[in-house]
Amino acid sequence: MALEVTQILLNAQSPDGSVRKQAEESLKQFQEQNAAGFLLSLAHELANNDKPAESRRLAGLVLKNSLDAKDAARKAELAQAWTALNESVKGQIKSALMSTLSSNIIDARHTSSQVIAKVSAIELPQGQWPELIGILLANMSGTGAEHPAHLKQATLETLGYVCEEVSANVLAQDQVNAILTAVVQGMNIAETNNDIRLAATQALYNALGFAHSNFENSMERDYLMRVVCEATQCPDKRVRQAAFECLVSISSTYYEKLAPYMQDVFAITSKAVREDEEPVALQAIEFWSSICDEEIEIQEEYGSDFTGDSEVQYFKFVKQALPALVPLLLETLTKQEEDQDQEDAWNLAMAGGTCLGLVARAVGDDIVPLVVPYVQDNIAKPDWRCREAATYAFGSILEGPSVEQLTPLVNHALAFMLNAMKDENNQVKDTTAWTLGRIFEFLHGPNIEVPVITPNNLPQILAVLLEKISDSPNVAEKVCGALYLLAQGYEDSGSSSPLSPFLQSIIQALLVTTDREDAGDSRLRASAYETLNEIVRCSTEDTAPVIAQLLPVIMQKLNSTLDMQLNSSDDREKQNEVQALLCGVLQVIVQKLGSSEATKHVILQCADQMMAMFLRIFASRNATVHEEAMLAIGALAYVTGSDFSKYMQEFYQYLQMGLQNFEEYQVCSITVGVVGDICRALDEKILPYCDGIMAQLLQNLSSNQLHRSVKPPIFSCFGDIALAIGEQFARYLAMAMPMLQGAAQLSAQAVSQDEEMIEYYNQLRIGILEAYSGIFQGFKNKRPDLMAPYALHILQFLESIYVDTYRDEAVTKAAVGVLGDLADTLGPSASSLLKNSTFYKGFLDTCQQSDDQSLKETADWALATINRLLTT
Amino acid sequence: MLNPVDHSPASRRDQFKAAVGNVAGERRRKQAIIIGKERRDAVVRAKRMRRADDNDEGMMYDEPFSDKIINEETVRAVQELKFLFSSSSKDSSQKKIEALRKLRRLLSCSSNPPVASAVEAGVVPILVKCLEFGSSDEQLVEAAWSLTNIASGDSELTLAILPALPLLIAHLGERSAAPVAEQCAWAVGNVAGEGEQARDLLSSQGALLPLAKLLLLNKPMLVKTAAWALSNIIKGPSSKAAVELFKVDGLSEAIIRHLTKGDEELVVEIAWVVVYITSLAESQTKLLIKSGLLPPLVAWLSSSESLSLLTPVLRSVGNLVAGDNSNTDALLDAAKDLPGGLFGCLVRCLGSEHRTLQKEAAWTVSNIVAGSLQHKQLVFGSRVVPTLLHLLATSTFDVRKEAAFALGNLSVMPAGESQLPQPIMEHLSMLVERGCLPGFINLVKSPDLEASRLGLQFLELVLRGLPNGQGSKLVEKEEGLAALEVLEYHDNDDLRSMANELIDKYYGEDYGLEEEYGPGIAEVVRGGEEYPSWRKGWVVNS
Repeated sequence: MALEVTQILLNAQSPDGSVRKQAEESLKQFQEQNAAGFLLSLAHELANNDKPAESRRLAGLVLKNSLDAKDAARKAELAQAWTALNESVKGQIKSALMSTLSSNIIDARHTSSQVIAKVSAIELPQGQWPELIGILLANMSGTGAEHPAHLKQATLETLGYVCEEVSANVLAQDQVNAILTAVVQGMNIAETNNDIRLAATQALYNALGFAHSNFENSMERDYLMRVVCEATQCPDKRVRQAAFECLVSISSTYYEKLAPYMQDVFAITSKAVREDEEPVALQAIEFWSSICDEEIEIQEEYGSDFTGDSEVQYFKFVKQALPALVPLLLETLTKQEEDQDQEDAWNLAMAGGTCLGLVARAVGDDIVPLVVPYVQDNIAKPDWRCREAATYAFGSILEGPSVEQLTPLVNHALAFMLNAMKDENNQVKDTTAWTLGRIFEFLHGPNIEVPVITPNNLPQILAVLLEKISDSPNVAEKVCGALYLLAQGYEDSGSSSPLSPFLQSIIQALLVTTDREDAGDSRLRASAYETLNEIVRCSTEDTAPVIAQLLPVIMQKLNSTLDMQLNSSDDREKQNEVQALLCGVLQVIVQKLGSSEATKHVILQCADQMMAMFLRIFASRNATVHEEAMLAIGALAYVTGSDFSKYMQEFYQYLQMGLQNFEEYQVCSITVGVVGDICRALDEKILPYCDGIMAQLLQNLSSNQLHRSVKPPIFSCFGDIALAIGEQFARYLAMAMPMLQGAAQLSAQAVSQDEEMIEYYNQLRIGILEAYSGIFQGFKNKRPDLMAPYALHILQFLESIYVDTYRDEAVTKAAVGVLGDLADTLGPSASSLLKNSTFYKGFLDTCQQSDDQSLKETADWALATINRLLTT
Repeated sequence: MLNPVDHSPASRRDQFKAAVGNVAGERRRKQAIIIGKERRDAVVRAKRMRRADDNDEGMMYDEPFSDKIINEETVRAVQELKFLFSSSSKDSSQKKIEALRKLRRLLSCSSNPPVASAVEAGVVPILVKCLEFGSSDEQLVEAAWSLTNIASGDSELTLAILPALPLLIAHLGERSAAPVAEQCAWAVGNVAGEGEQARDLLSSQGALLPLAKLLLLNKPMLVKTAAWALSNIIKGPSSKAAVELFKVDGLSEAIIRHLTKGDEELVVEIAWVVVYITSLAESQTKLLIKSGLLPPLVAWLSSSESLSLLTPVLRSVGNLVAGDNSNTDALLDAAKDLPGGLFGCLVRCLGSEHRTLQKEAAWTVSNIVAGSLQHKQLVFGSRVVPTLLHLLATSTFDVRKEAAFALGNLSVMPAGESQLPQPIMEHLSMLVERGCLPGFINLVKSPDLEASRLGLQFLELVLRGLPNGQGSKLVEKEEGLAALEVLEYHDNDDLRSMANELIDKYYGEDYGLEEEYGPGIAEVVRGGEEYPSWRKGWVVNS
């Protein structure tokens, strides 16, 4: 069956576009005509040592892509296609793959490892290919003559990939043990071949998640830890890095087992941080960051009340290591790069500062005396590295220690920081602005008793920030961040905010910033606009006129983007970015001014113009722009109310387009929400558009391609539509009810311990319940009879929710609401059903005892409604 | 092609000094979606409440339903009160009362009373002023009523009335008119409902004794409200308040009297007081028993049809039998003339249509059978056992679990010196014969760790207890072995080692071990301590 594919595969990598295209075409054709033969040919190509490395590599890649895909639906299809293949074909492919592991060509071995892992991901969970692990392990034994080093290396790599692909419960404990034994042997200090040691160490990284029972046993754990620690001392830096990665993973997976090793690990990591090459040193720092993560999580989850017999173990490793760890991290801070203002820069200094921030959160006040002297010593030194490091250290510890500890320090430092904004060095200014932002984030706001920001220093703070917002883009971006957090601290200021007198000049400065030539650098433009949004959101009624003046300015800006000259794809990208950001600002302004009767008219006056612009914007094909325009329209519909109907005829096509956007499912999801907004705005005036909308929503529900997170809001949207059009929803009942019932069954059957699934099913239930509530309430006055046939099913669904221990509060609330709606709408025709189903008493009884006031009220109402029904 | 081990640390950790634009945009979009959801909820809620009003008379603002109007109205009402109670005002007391009444009505209306607006507008200081000594009873009632409603809202709002507490408590005293005392008790009860801190505060301000003294009176409405408020205060977890109560002379007798002669609603509130006393204060409980607590308690248990009454009564009985065994004897004696005796009462609850009652009754039984051998035998001979077996086979999960605790405790000797609980052969074999095994095996499979452990402990008992290796065959036949095998890979260490122990011990030492194991690994799987710790605590019912 196998065919000669070498030439086609080589052509497919040709620099000549037409040759390449033709080759790709032939591959596709071959695959469609004879899938089995195609895969077999690829496997043989990959296995054949006489073939060129390039064609073998591509053969493996195509093979791999025939087994796995990112998209879940496609992935399932591919797995199914593989499973359906003839057994002997699969056997031949697998043995070709296994034989490739001993090839001399490293690329071929590597590719084959990956393909084997993909096959194992399909077959092992179904109980197929049971011999795989045995064969791989057999490769590891024997002398060098029987099994050369490169075979062992490839085998270890394969074992690592297999462990990464399959979940822990697929492998039996004996298989896990045997894999670990082989891997640990490969990592051992006695192994002289560093390629093998590296492959083994990387394999261990993937296998660690399987090693729970081995970590339970102290002898095995000691051994594993010893081997890992030894590997951190390997002469080959790749092995050292991989070994530290293992330690990082162990620190989070097996935190509670680490106590006996911490002293050694501290010695190893501190040596690496001080002396080793950067990639290794970074992982050594990461180990401590990861320990901090664990301890922060323990504290967040269990608060400060640890008792001796508490189930969690909290060792306070960070606190114990503190006197040595903090100086170690402080040393790293002066190892900055010259140009680390790059957005994704990551180096020793940044990792060290990040870790210092986590340490501060883990230990709180204890860190302060260890860092303050360092800050004092260095903050005024002539070397910019010292000044930047000192500022970074100070900024890093502002979250964690108590406000009482920090307030005097910050009061003392604030004037200095403001002055340091004029430093000659760019990075010092960058970090200083960031630190000011951290001060505003953690020491400013309604909950702070002794405020650091006072009417006395606020004018000076703003003067400095507004001056420095015109500094280089990276500094300006940090200044925006500081303004953002400063404004946030004044949220809920009542009718007037301390920022009010300065609002006009802040807005002016931000607008100027958005127009800067270099606003594309350091994400400055986006930060400036989002800061503007926060300023608007937190503004108070005394500055409403200022916001009202901002509206035409933003509209003007948006309008000018529509006629922008586009000479390159860069231009288009910039147009998209700016349009999305401006739509965001409009959304916030509409929401702000539209929520008060006094200012609503400002929005209404501009509604026509705004809507016209939004409609023009939809011509762009960019997902983010669509999302933002949709959100702005949703906000606008709320303000205009039923007057929104005049825009519907034109807007409708874009609504459809949004609902059809499966690919960029966030657009779809937001559009579904906007349908709800519009339903509430238009009420029955939405009717003419409902056929189309409902048809599309039903189609979305049945699609496998649409991301599942969109489905719960679609059900809620049924409820919105039914609430708006009342008894007219009858015409969709025959289609919608089976969907709702199907989904209800799915969510009720779900017995899963996977938290993500539990969460999803809860979302789904909320959607279904909101749909039922909407439909019941919509039918209440005119066609209550229509829902009678479904009442039994709905009651059963509610009962299944009642007995589910994983239901969350929101589901409970929605369910109780539906119970009342059912009784309220169906009236006497539901009474016999209710009499026969007793669960509701227990359900409502439990809810009436809840601490949640609104749940209690809903339960009271539902019970009163049912009782009224049963007694009359 | 991506390397599976991601070697770029930057992608592992978010940038510490990240640009604000990214996060802020995400946050803003989420906020927009939440706003949509809130608006939907508001529409749905409004429709529901409007309908609820159809049948209620006298709602002031039903159509159109608008929170905004009510809130504005409320602020105006508070302003008016402020004016009327200011020193410059010469208005008559009648006018003041009318203004107070208007406020109270506003605060009583709708599902979403404008409490927050009222507090924000500064209503509390005025209401405190209204409570001053020498004010008319009518004024006191209206002010206390408004405070009651404020305290029924969110906790922030409840705490807003703290400045009024000293006066509210002062008006609880004997010299107050009954309606005044009752309204003040109600407000105090709402505050107590706020939580432990609020309860401590009330105790320290001396709310306890005046409320307790109100119980001595013969005014059903007043006693009912006082009992309710009292039960809110003595909830615990500290037993201090429940003990201090008894400083009031004649309290025990009063409680018994109301329990015996009160109307149903009054009995419910008194019974809740009894619930907290019996769960927190041992010697005070003895005092109550001596004064005659048990006869009315079991009489209600045997005759009432009301869920709200049966719940506290049954809980009290459950608390009593969880204490020392003599309580159980006393209860058996008190109920001996009732149909079916004490067990007849419990069977009634076990067979109730209310899941909560079933569960509480099963819990009560499990406490009785955790006691002496004689109690176990008495229960074993009663109709309780078939009912429990039925529940174990058919009921919802939480009830099954309680039933299983009871049946499990029934099958073992009282905890003795030895580590291992000893089976009561007669009980164990009969329960197994009557088909309880599938129920326990179901629990083994449960995701609930406690239930799973309980199921395992029972299987262990069956495997060890039944003669001639009968146990292992029966367990395998009912698919218990399969359930054990699933647990061999459970995340929980205890469960996993329990399951492994059982499989090793009763289904062959080498079960599940393959040839391929290295010698060291096999050691790990078989190893472990000789006496696994899980065997302790068998009869411990949490």
